[in-house]
Amino acid sequence: MQKREKLLKEEVKKLLDKKQVDMVIGYEKGTLALRTTPCFLASVDDVDRLVWNEFCENNLAKYLPGRKEKVAIVAKGCDVRSIVGLIQERQITREQIFIVGIPCEGIIDRRKIESRLGEKEILEATCENGKILLRGEDFQEILKKGDFLYDSCKVCKYRNPIVFDLLIGDRVPELEKIDEYAEVRKFEAESPDERWLHFQKEISKCIRCYACRSACPLCYCEQCFVDQSQPRWIGITDNPSDVGVFHLFRVFHVAGRCVDCGACSRACPMNIDHRWLLKKMEKDVKELFGYEAGLSVEEVPPLATFKEEDPQDFIK
Amino acid sequence: MSKNSELQTPNSKLQTDWEPKIVAFLCNWCSYAGADLAGISRIQYPPNVRIIRIPCSGRVHPLFIMRSLQNGADGVLVSGCHPGDCHYISGNYIARRRFAILKNLLEYVGIEPERVQFSWVSASEGEKFAKVVEDVVEQVKALGPAKRLVKRKADPH
Amino acid sequence: MSEKVIQKNKMVDFLNELLKAYKVFAPVKRDHIVSFDAIQSSGEMLLNYLNSRIPPKEIFFPRSEKMFEYIRDDLIEVKEVLPSEERKVLFGIRPCDAKAILLLDKVFDSPDYQDPYYLRKRKETIFVGMGCDRPQSTCFCTSLGGAPFSEEGLDLLFTNIGDRFVVKGITEEGETLLEKYEQVFERAKKSDLDDKLNVEKEAVNRIKSKIALEKIEKRLDKMFEDSFWDRIYQKCLGCAVCTYLCPTCHCFDITDETMDTSGERFRAWDSCQFALFTLQASGHNPRMSGKERVRQRIMHKFNYFVKNYGEIACVGCGRCIKNCPVNFDIRQILLELVS
Ligand code: SF4
Ligand code: SF4
Ligand code: SF4
Ligand code: SF4
Ligand code: SF4
Repeated sequence: MQKREKLLKEEVKKLLDKKQVDMVIGYEKGTLALRTTPCFLASVDDVDRLVWNEFCENNLAKYLPGRKEKVAIVAKGCDVRSIVGLIQERQITREQIFIVGIPCEGIIDRRKIESRLGEKEILEATCENGKILLRGEDFQEILKKGDFLYDSCKVCKYRNPIVFDLLIGDRVPELEKIDEYAEVRKFEAESPDERWLHFQKEISKCIRCYACRSACPLCYCEQCFVDQSQPRWIGITDNPSDVGVFHLFRVFHVAGRCVDCGACSRACPMNIDHRWLLKKMEKDVKELFGYEAGLSVEEVPPLATFKEEDPQDFIK
Repeated sequence: MSKNSELQTPNSKLQTDWEPKIVAFLCNWCSYAGADLAGISRIQYPPNVRIIRIPCSGRVHPLFIMRSLQNGADGVLVSGCHPGDCHYISGNYIARRRFAILKNLLEYVGIEPERVQFSWVSASEGEKFAKVVEDVVEQVKALGPAKRLVKRKADPH
Repeated sequence: MSEKVIQKNKMVDFLNELLKAYKVFAPVKRDHIVSFDAIQSSGEMLLNYLNSRIPPKEIFFPRSEKMFEYIRDDLIEVKEVLPSEERKVLFGIRPCDAKAILLLDKVFDSPDYQDPYYLRKRKETIFVGMGCDRPQSTCFCTSLGGAPFSEEGLDLLFTNIGDRFVVKGITEEGETLLEKYEQVFERAKKSDLDDKLNVEKEAVNRIKSKIALEKIEKRLDKMFEDSFWDRIYQKCLGCAVCTYLCPTCHCFDITDETMDTSGERFRAWDSCQFALFTLQASGHNPRMSGKERVRQRIMHKFNYFVKNYGEIACVGCGRCIKNCPVNFDIRQILLELVS
């Protein structure tokens, strides 16, 4: 990690020094344990602020759409896939961005750690050799990193960026024997009543802060359907029907585009499970149309195209 | 957070006189003409459908379907031209992918699959249209009134 | 006013007594999230908590609430839907959040306007505070005139001194409770009161974030056009986490839910961080980008609110810092502004 961070700084310094880019979007130390925070650097002198570690949870691709300048962006495997999506969808051009790809071995899920510790405040967290060291006012704790990764990281198939201009450090081994749809199959096997109850339970926590939408790199619509008033698609109250439609349509709108970067779930202040729906969309898109999001800038998102032989046995 | 009690799905009152409301989105060029033909040919089909004419099945936004369910439709039928016959060349092909995904999603969260149905009906298939409607009405009738995703009045405080 | 002591194992009895006479709201933990909710039994209450994720403002100002119903035939008929006035105890509120309620009072109970939806729920509520013996690293209440054991806005204040709490009656309502349920309380010994002072002093010392905010209003007077905002807004996503979870934010949107000829009017939380907040019917948006929206949040809390109501609309609870998806830290903004 520290080696990679050092390398990152060196490379980014060169980029800015040679004026290859106008700005770099990366991570810097935040003000909270278990966190980092996005930063925007334009000067070589600032580059030392950059960090890279297991707490770089944000997907910085969010900051790309609409940029005018030439930017370098620090991106993990999943983040790169969302950048590919943005290029496919013409939200940014490939030429305009310089992808500083970082092979990634998984990001730590701060919520899992907080739930484990209960009502204890963590003041400092570091990660070394697969161990997370936590320190609070009157306690210390060592946890195994593998037990506290984000769910999306546990089933990540593209830990090494697939598109990049520069790769920081050596590649990491890809995960083997992952079963990324195990959860989805579990839900599919449940009764409709159980699934409906699960859906209702999850959405009943929603406060409609739209952090899930705001954090998603692929949510760039100039006007989101929740904000439309002519016609107004969904009500703004906590009526479960409207909250349900918000969730259903949000996931529908990222179907075939979502790269399981986890940004939506990480942003949600109410710990709502977004992945059980997103993964289902992903699985269906793959099974029905043989498509996986964010793998090639030449491809077209699956819901914007078709094949004559697409399945249609559900149509009378 | 919400203290609304929609978690308890109300009993589908066993009303014998209950008739389902079906919203049918029919494309202008094929299925709407098919429905018209059924009418002109005096083919009987259940009067439960409320037809909404749309330019193309590709015009059917998933929110049309969800809004219908929210606002009291017991079932939704979307019908367009057969593959290859789209007036706009590929509207129905694009729609087909969308519907496949949407249908699975709704089913996944526990909405009965029979509530939302799709068909290809051409302008000459008056009989088929009547048959599709008959089937949809029959299946929705068997399910009883829609309970899920239906927007109910909120409890006062 | 008087000070008593209650053994921790007597808390159950006290809560059970309260539950007989009042609707009791207390911190509860569901799915790892602490919030205030009506409890049915004393066991539901969480005694040991840092603070709630959702502020207790939602008891008086819920995320969404119905205002009235109407029928529109030939005539328009309006049916009032007012919340019932019930005797409530808000048990375990932190002093910062109690102070925040006083700030909300300024908005919802001003000389010009009294908001019945808020006030009917707010009235008849007894505030039982739980002093903050473990302030968090994100707490900065002392920079805003508060303190972990501030009595402002409370009727009773509990101080954790190990196996007992010292309970201080602050208002007449609080004193009445102490008398009414005297069987669960004991006389406070001198040593208990000394312990209490120590706990309180230690808590104040634990607060490391300090910002001199005396001149912030004046400073912001000159900042509206400053390039400062261009720099700081960039990472903000424009969600509503910071404002929805803020105990002092009080913006709402009003909407009609209509069906045929009848309808209901609701209000629901809204946030200045949304683009829609200021979007005009013409399509023009005076706060075009995140820059203007971030500026609005800071300006409203530390300048406009001060001009309107004489106080800063932030109590230093740290929720916006803890829960922001990108770790946007209002303390850093404030420190830069006052330096
Ligand atoms: S929907 Fe969520 S997981 Fe998918 S791309 Fe958007 S933020 Fe990432
Ligand atoms: S971030 Fe969470 S609480 Fe906020 S709108 Fe999304 S799901 Fe709801
Ligand atoms: S400061 Fe953070 S919580 Fe507030 S709107 Fe911006 S991203 Fe959301
Ligand atoms: S602005 Fe932040 S710290 Fe201040 S009261 Fe609101 S949530 Fe708490
Ligand atoms: S304007 Fe913004 S900061 Fe001020 S109360 Fe409303 S939501 Fe909060």
